[in-house]
Amino acid sequence: MQNIFLAASSYSPEVNFDFANHRLALKGECYPENAAVFFEPIMHALHGYLASLDHVHITVDVQLAYFNSASTKAILAIFERLNAAAVAGNYVTVNWHSDPDDDTIMEFGQEVADDNGALDVHLLELA
Amino acid sequence: MSLDAFYRFQNLARDESVVFFYTGYFSQAIVTAMADALRLRLNQTDASNVQRRKLFSVFIEMAQNVVHYSAEHLTASESDDQEIRRGALWVGERHGQFYVVCANPVDRNQSHRIRDKLAPLLGMNNDDIKQLYKQKLRADNDAESKGAGLGFLTVARDASGPVEFDFVDEHGPHSPTTMFYLKATI
Repeated sequence: MQNIFLAASSYSPEVNFDFANHRLALKGECYPENAAVFFEPIMHALHGYLASLDHVHITVDVQLAYFNSASTKAILAIFERLNAAAVAGNYVTVNWHSDPDDDTIMEFGQEVADDNGALDVHLLELA
Repeated sequence: MSLDAFYRFQNLARDESVVFFYTGYFSQAIVTAMADALRLRLNQTDASNVQRRKLFSVFIEMAQNVVHYSAEHLTASESDDQEIRRGALWVGERHGQFYVVCANPVDRNQSHRIRDKLAPLLGMNNDDIKQLYKQKLRADNDAESKGAGLGFLTVARDASGPVEFDFVDEHGPHSPTTMFYLKATI
């Protein structure tokens, strides 16, 4: 399985999906013009990676400082897919980081946790 | 335009405390450049971190709305990536609050659809808007939306009071397009 590394740009986050070590990370800002186009290859790779996994501990670190409305559903879809993998017998830890005064990002992390009960979601404040 | 007219234009912008104004064609590259400039400009103001983030969010939603939906486009009307479309965007400050206004032409037959999306938001408080946001987040996508169909709701969520909008017939009532204005205060 090929790992994915995309460097951050002004409008897109760093994507570091280290499938070999079962560590996935998203970091930065996300407001691509077309969220579907941006996330399609990422979702495709994630599907391929998760399809064959069993009894694996996956750690997901999310440190998104901002994402636009068009990206919200694509981001939720990532966690829905991870939740399905957890239901299928894997163990998925999600570390959701936000600034202490950023209620919007923190509440979104809470939504992710509420919707995906099989994920072990930790809402963490950045120092 | 004589230089005198430019002075009047500048003075009006100063009197209205305009922090940022752009009119012309919008693309993702232009939105990104404007966003960078706006961030630097906001760093020089007294805005709190929370206010800056909300202002930035509203700015991006409105600017990308122009990129996706303005009726006047340089790129093919059916495209949904690498688009270039015309509009205008203001950011201003008044009594410690910021406002963002965008304007772009829309097809007249789209104005009802836009009105139907925005009108219900005007009477809602912030809790109602958050509830509706959560509900829409889990709903299927609106077929006519190029994003998640959450743009106006995001603007309303991040605004400190009700959004304002209007349609202005700049080219008379028989023109196929009308100018759509949207304002949010943060």
